[in-house]
Amino acid sequence: MPKISTDKITPGMILTKPIQGSNGMILLTEGTELNEKWIDRLATMRIDGVWVGAAEPLMPISEALAALDARFEAVLKEPYMETLKNMVRIHIEKLYA
Amino acid sequence: MEIIDITKQRTRIENIVALPTVPGSLKRISQILEKPHVTLDEIGHFISADPALTARVLRMVNSAIYGFPGRISSVSHAVMLLGLNVIKGMLLGISVFDIMQKLMDGLWEHSLGCAVIARTIAEKKGISDPEEVAIAALIHDIGKVILIMEFQQAYEGVMKDAADRRVSVSEAEIAVFRETHAAVGMWLSQKWRFPPKLVEVIGFHHTPQLAQIAPLETAIVHFADVLIRARGFGFAGDQFAAAVHPAAFELLALTGDDISELLNTLEKSQDEAEGFTL
Repeated sequence: MPKISTDKITPGMILTKPIQGSNGMILLTEGTELNEKWIDRLATMRIDGVWVGAAEPLMPISEALAALDARFEAVLKEPYMETLKNMVRIHIEKLYA
Repeated sequence: MEIIDITKQRTRIENIVALPTVPGSLKRISQILEKPHVTLDEIGHFISADPALTARVLRMVNSAIYGFPGRISSVSHAVMLLGLNVIKGMLLGISVFDIMQKLMDGLWEHSLGCAVIARTIAEKKGISDPEEVAIAALIHDIGKVILIMEFQQAYEGVMKDAADRRVSVSEAEIAVFRETHAAVGMWLSQKWRFPPKLVEVIGFHHTPQLAQIAPLETAIVHFADVLIRARGFGFAGDQFAAAVHPAAFELLALTGDDISELLNTLEKSQDEAEGFTL
């Protein structure tokens, strides 16, 4: 789920990213379950939004690899680029493993 | 497409920040950057006098761009840790953040990813000030911000042309502007009295073989740019992988394991870039 504004949060939502105060300090860490008390306090602070819920699903691997091919098409014959592409491909495959 | 030869408009471009369309924050920061012999103390006071800027500086220094373990909670501490060159570059990065977000979706993710990768490589290579390399990477595409701010329509045409012809945005820029964003970035970074090393990195990030005084730093930012495009994160005007300059790649002498580690670091940097607000 993307970032939502503090007036849209409801109790039980889980933070997927920490909330930082305006001075850069961490107010609540990642994984915190939001309750009424936190929500009330957050509402009074100048915070433009919080990250809650599950992370966005990855695109299907076939799509990710097709996009990789398309990106490299024009430069594949340049020195080192095939090696680099293979490294990125292995990296992407690991993300899906 | 209409040709706008920017090589004949260098003075105008150097004075771009004086234009009424440019946000006040960039103007004020530009004024302090241009001041000759500005001291670290003066910059510290300038930041501290502005609570909104203070908050932004603290968020920036506590981000993944820098590798500081503990949290930095005061401007004076940040200024001491980072030094004049890094602070100046960071102020520029902060002042163009909103413009980047508004005018080129994905350029911030690209820039932040480059900064994180560049710092990681700089640390691996034992460079004494990895933060300087990180800030150079963060603002390496400042020329794009300037071009799109001043010639929005023409620049949108450039990006469309790059996509249609499947070429890099630099190549498409030359067709219209006769020069690239790298040159524009170099002109302005000289005007803003950035140190010669930083000027070189910005000016030669696509042509690292031309670097004279900072060949290693330039190669690092060049490769960070290549790697993030190869992974397909962010958007820097075109969506293609760019060829790495062989000599720069050889200079870095990264192993397969190094690169795989950098790619993992890059994944994390994108989470941070998405959640980053100033």
